Amino acid sequence: MWARSSAWRPSAPVTEVFNEVDGRVKWDDTTAVTGGGVAVSADTEDVDLVGAAIVENLGRVALFAALMGAFAYVSFPNPFSPAPVTLQVLGVFLAGLFLGPVWGSVSIGLYLAAGAVGAPVFSGGSAGLAPLVGSTAGYLWSYPVAAFVVGAVVHGGLSVGDPREAGVVRLVGAMVGGTVVVYAMGVAGLMLVLGLGPVAAFTAGAAAFVPAEAFKIAAAVGIVRSDAFVAK
Amino acid sequence: MLSYEPGTTLAHALDPRTKLAFQAGFAVAAFAYTTPRGLAALSVLALAALAAARRSPLAAASDLRFVFPILLAAPLFEGLVVGPPWFSLAQARFPALASYRVVLLLFVSAAYVYTTSARDSRAAIQWLVPGRSGRFLGLGVAVVFRFLPVLVADLQRARAAMRARLGTERSLAERIRIVTTAGLRRVDARADALSLALQARCVAWNPTLPRLAVGWRDAPVLALALVLAASPLL
Repeated sequence: MWARSSAWRPSAPVTEVFNEVDGRVKWDDTTAVTGGGVAVSADTEDVDLVGAAIVENLGRVALFAALMGAFAYVSFPNPFSPAPVTLQVLGVFLAGLFLGPVWGSVSIGLYLAAGAVGAPVFSGGSAGLAPLVGSTAGYLWSYPVAAFVVGAVVHGGLSVGDPREAGVVRLVGAMVGGTVVVYAMGVAGLMLVLGLGPVAAFTAGAAAFVPAEAFKIAAAVGIVRSDAFVAK
Repeated sequence: MLSYEPGTTLAHALDPRTKLAFQAGFAVAAFAYTTPRGLAALSVLALAALAAARRSPLAAASDLRFVFPILLAAPLFEGLVVGPPWFSLAQARFPALASYRVVLLLFVSAAYVYTTSARDSRAAIQWLVPGRSGRFLGLGVAVVFRFLPVLVADLQRARAAMRARLGTERSLAERIRIVTTAGLRRVDARADALSLALQARCVAWNPTLPRLAVGWRDAPVLALALVLAASPLL
């Protein structure tokens, strides 16, 4: 680190301080201040590269969020009810299972943020701030919580391990817990936003959809325990 | 499906932060005044927002059709009573108003989605959330916008392949597992390729984003957003 005095400016004394990092000369406003000179903003003077570990996490987490959005476009006929089965809740389970509680909920948070600013990722290709305060609000806000619950139960804490090491009972229990979170918050959202009573809210918002969750849980257990996809 | 379309309307010219502020103010007012008179006044504003984006309410309603079953069902379920007369208008009144309120909220946010590009939204996010967390959020949101159509196509290909191999004869859980496994494997491969490409192109914490500027057109809309947000106190 070295200091260099520069041309006179009105607010003298002026000393611009440079900081050498990894062979690059980088402006550093903290050293500029401590050096007794005028602080120079570091923001536009140099390219601040994103670290390799963060780029790898970001790619995985953001692509998982995009997959969650793509699941809104996949629906299967439901044998129990006229409402088709979409895979959104399965996306929440998988985020908790494969990314763990912290990155899983970050991923679902990215999904919500992208939808809020206009990516058509919510059910039926919907987007915007309104789904986050409208009739779907409870479900959407429950997703990051449910991903956290699933991840925390399966991995037994905040760290991420191999989900295949968890037993079937633990996997199913975690996802049943996640389902309870999603539908409890979803029904509460319907009661708050649409002014429904608990019975009407449960009938309209959960009764037709809950049985299909069993298929998603079965599918998720199948995915975790098969070798077709192994999380790295 | 709602999505951005380039254009030269008034709503396109507004700053994304102004449009976000208007949506927030509108939501506050809609929750505070869920009465026939309040919603009538807000309907005018919602239609004006769509008009500023040169979109007809019918086109917007068609893009939002998936939400209507639950909005119609809400007052019907709540109005049901056990015993004659089987349906109570008094009980169904508030849910009906609340459902209409959600339609207005959806119209206003649809106007935002039609007229705001992903880059502008990203710049607004990074202005709203300062520091590296905002930049991480902005970068992540940009990746979601870019990869959503790619992954939708991946899943459609997986479904087409499954159908061609008589996969439709399998049980529902099996079909879900097959399509989802294909999606996860594509995500894995694409995430590796993406992070390599991002590093090769020197992804930075301080990328060049469109410079946001609040112009003279924004002033009345911002003022209206403030009035709406403060309206519950009036």
